[in-house]
Amino acid sequence: MKKLLAAAIAFAALSGAAYADTIKVGVIGPFSGPFALQGKNFKAGIDAWLALNGNKVGSDEIQIVYRDVPQADPARSKALAQELVVREGVQYLAGFYFTPDAMAATALLQQANVPMVVMNAATSAIVASSPLVVRTSFTTWQTTTPIATVAKEQGVTKAITLVSDYGPGIDAENAFKTAFEKEGGKVVETIRMPLSTNDFAPLMQRVKDSGAQGLFTFLPSGPPTLAFVKAYNDNGLKAGGIKFYGTGDLTQESDLPALGEAALGLQTTYHYAVSHDSPENKTFVAAAEKAIGNPAELSFPSVSAFDGMYVICKMIEATGGKQDAKKAVDAVKGLSWTSPRGPVSIDPDSRHITENIYLREVAKDASGKYYNKEVRTFEKQGDPGLAFVKK
Amino acid sequence: MQTVLSIGVDALAYGMALFVISIGLSVTMGLMRVVNLAHGAFAMIGGYFASYAVRDLGLGYAAGILVAVVGTVVIAIPIERLLYRRIYGAPQLTQVLMTIGITFCVIGITNFAFGPTLKTVPLPPLLQGSVDLGFRSIAAHRIFVIICGFTVAAGLWFLVERTNFGVKVRATVDNAAMTAALGVRTEVVYAVSFAVAIALAAFGGVIGAELLPLEPYYALRYMVTFLVVVSVGGAGSIPGALIACLLLGTIDTTGRYLAPEYGEFFFYLAVILIVTLFPRGLAGRMK
Amino acid sequence: MVASLDRTIATPSFTRRMADRGVIGVLAILVAGLAGYLLMPNNLALLTQMIAVAMLVLSIDLVTGYCGVATLGHAALFGAGAYGAGIAAVHFGITDPVAMTAVGLLAGAAAGLVSGFVILRAHGLAQLVLSIAVIHLFHEAANKASGWTGGSDGLSAITPDAFFGAFEFDLWGVTAYAYGVILLAVVFLALQILVRSPFGMLARGVRQDQIRIAAMGASSHSVLLRMYVISGAVAGVGGALSAISTQVVGLDSLSFTLSAEALVMLVLGGTGSLYGAMIGTVVFMLFEDTLSAANPFHWLTIVGALLIAVVLFAPKGLYGSAAAFAGRVRRRPA
Repeated sequence: MKKLLAAAIAFAALSGAAYADTIKVGVIGPFSGPFALQGKNFKAGIDAWLALNGNKVGSDEIQIVYRDVPQADPARSKALAQELVVREGVQYLAGFYFTPDAMAATALLQQANVPMVVMNAATSAIVASSPLVVRTSFTTWQTTTPIATVAKEQGVTKAITLVSDYGPGIDAENAFKTAFEKEGGKVVETIRMPLSTNDFAPLMQRVKDSGAQGLFTFLPSGPPTLAFVKAYNDNGLKAGGIKFYGTGDLTQESDLPALGEAALGLQTTYHYAVSHDSPENKTFVAAAEKAIGNPAELSFPSVSAFDGMYVICKMIEATGGKQDAKKAVDAVKGLSWTSPRGPVSIDPDSRHITENIYLREVAKDASGKYYNKEVRTFEKQGDPGLAFVKK
Repeated sequence: MQTVLSIGVDALAYGMALFVISIGLSVTMGLMRVVNLAHGAFAMIGGYFASYAVRDLGLGYAAGILVAVVGTVVIAIPIERLLYRRIYGAPQLTQVLMTIGITFCVIGITNFAFGPTLKTVPLPPLLQGSVDLGFRSIAAHRIFVIICGFTVAAGLWFLVERTNFGVKVRATVDNAAMTAALGVRTEVVYAVSFAVAIALAAFGGVIGAELLPLEPYYALRYMVTFLVVVSVGGAGSIPGALIACLLLGTIDTTGRYLAPEYGEFFFYLAVILIVTLFPRGLAGRMK
Repeated sequence: MVASLDRTIATPSFTRRMADRGVIGVLAILVAGLAGYLLMPNNLALLTQMIAVAMLVLSIDLVTGYCGVATLGHAALFGAGAYGAGIAAVHFGITDPVAMTAVGLLAGAAAGLVSGFVILRAHGLAQLVLSIAVIHLFHEAANKASGWTGGSDGLSAITPDAFFGAFEFDLWGVTAYAYGVILLAVVFLALQILVRSPFGMLARGVRQDQIRIAAMGASSHSVLLRMYVISGAVAGVGGALSAISTQVVGLDSLSFTLSAEALVMLVLGGTGSLYGAMIGTVVFMLFEDTLSAANPFHWLTIVGALLIAVVLFAPKGLYGSAAAFAGRVRRRPA
């Protein structure tokens, strides 16, 4: 029975290639629930790509199939990936906001002969879990490491870290600690707080008592960042001269109107700011704003989705629309291009994206809109976290 | 000493914020015996009204609160007539199913209509910034929340214990059939109680927005917190809810200060302990 | 109810009827399993997941439907089974699927003992809150023990052996699905016997009147606790099936969300009946899957509307209301 099924699928794949008509790309992301905003940004990035480049590669037409995994749920992610491959016959899997969701689906890739393009999930180990994974987003190690340099250069010798107690938070803590100590600084205390924390006042008191000159923090983008930034201001840390360092997750563009005045001057490092000044980005932002409807909702996952589509199209080009995952992935190893975020390339060994990381400061423009202003560029940053991945 | 004092202030502020947001649920669960998991949804609707009024229409903060309370109650009236009326007295699980359904709908509609971004209610200048207490500073808004909390507690206590309406409410809770037989129109009592609960939810949603930011998923995100607070205090008891909030606020704040990594453990172990010792809540009247 | 039970026991053909009912149920499961395979051959992963969740819902039914315990923390038992099977495979090299299932069963039963110990200390709302506290403690413990569980990144690289060396757990998921259907049939048969056994009767008695049970000389607490352990074993098997078929275990399997969702499925189908539990699961998950595939962005609203509609038009749940309706129709001519 299984053989019959396999034969049927093989036949379907063959006939698909013979007609060279529609190539399906399955996108898994959080399109409803608490992270709906990020899923919406995936879609905006993909739609922007299609609007700017058309939905055809050669004579093949690209069709996107969306599937919803509202919160990290590897079992559901895997079931959907399986369904996308077996029933929908997708030739590419893409999206994946959460690490466990991506990890769950990587196990299928070899057998399904399908490459995966990760558009967000930021744990270093994902690319190591299958040779058919390419990532166009970032890792927490990658975006965190440069801020340690910034902190040290701004005269901070004693820092404290305050991160959400889950995978990415712990990654951020390790990355900052490693980089900061390499610079000769000292991390006086590392605090992990539960993800569900909504009152940060007692933690701010802890930070104050620690005697650190700088606070490094990582929180996943979303509602708690608002309360966190307010707590930093209201509890006198800002006034007390304790400097604030974070990754761009804290000041994502869609949260800035809500953060408002409180966020002004916050320094973060990240791979993309919607305000990035380049012709490529202007074109992208115009298209993505149109795709998402409300420009205030545009945020970082959109650019990774946009570049993910670029990579997928290159793969389709290289394979002539035939399903050959290995050839497709090989074709984009070492690929470099100018993304809306700046020059990027796919590292041939890790298949992770090498990109510029920017130091940004929240500023207010002439029309009173808050934005992440890029003030410094760390060029061609790879993923330092790969060295720590258990083989 | 200074640290203890400082934690005390944080605990008071956090506890009172919890109180303002959860007290409406205590009213529905204790007085009306409805496990209203949609409480957060109504709080969120209130918050969105206020946000729209203050940020987009440029009304004042006080006017925003008024719009929120009135608007939410107006939305809630048909929902009460059409849906809630069917589940008064129904088994708890049926109530859970219905109110979760309502919550899903509210989340979906909010997401569709207003998008998934965070909404804020801009504060008036008086409540912005922080106030110096001598040994530390605290957000001015938190002081406002503390005052609101005590005012709401006192007002509700007066309403339930000292007014004619309060007598009817208590009688209806204890024995609805007998009260109706005595000539009290219990459905009016229910409707008014429901309106009061919704008004409190909306008020809490607006006042608490600084702590629990408004977004579509608000309706589910904090449901557990509300439930815990209400049951620890004892559904329907205003002093109970007040004590519970202050107690849980203290436990949570202290835990978070001393051992943030184990904050969750602290909190839920304490909840288990309290609930086991006081199965009807600290001052419960619901059997 | 007690009177009707007495009548059942008094019927001479009781044993036969029990066997019949169990057999019919098992046949129904096998037929439905085959139908699922034929109708949705390309979506077996979903169907397998559905079976795993059905076991969680059955397990909630045992304590909620049969014993009247309110719980929003039952995923703790399911997650314990999933992590048990997963950890056995990843850290101890136990990759035989049947052995993994057995480990899941034991882990689930152990979790059932622990959470039953806590949850059974109160009633009603307080009980609900205790169950919420339990699920959060389990979740947090798994998050902390990331060396064992993989923390929030999930426990991956679970590779169960092929069945008899021939049937692999692969992309098409036929093996996992067939295994799931068989497991469900076995579990169903066992539960059918259980709920009709004297012990099952006692459990129903506890739900209806604890004082009378105590007066009869039975300890309601011990009945409930035993039921909790059995319920844990069932949920644990479901968790193990999930771990085997998806080869990954995430923190979501220990979440409040899953607990609440499973409870919703149970109430949707109808409490106090094994069929209700399974029907509720199938209807909810199929509905959710179809809707969320059709519109990944706004399906939640319609699911909400479905739940409201069920309360309004089928207050005893889909199966419960249908059974009541059928009963009315049957009685009318007589």
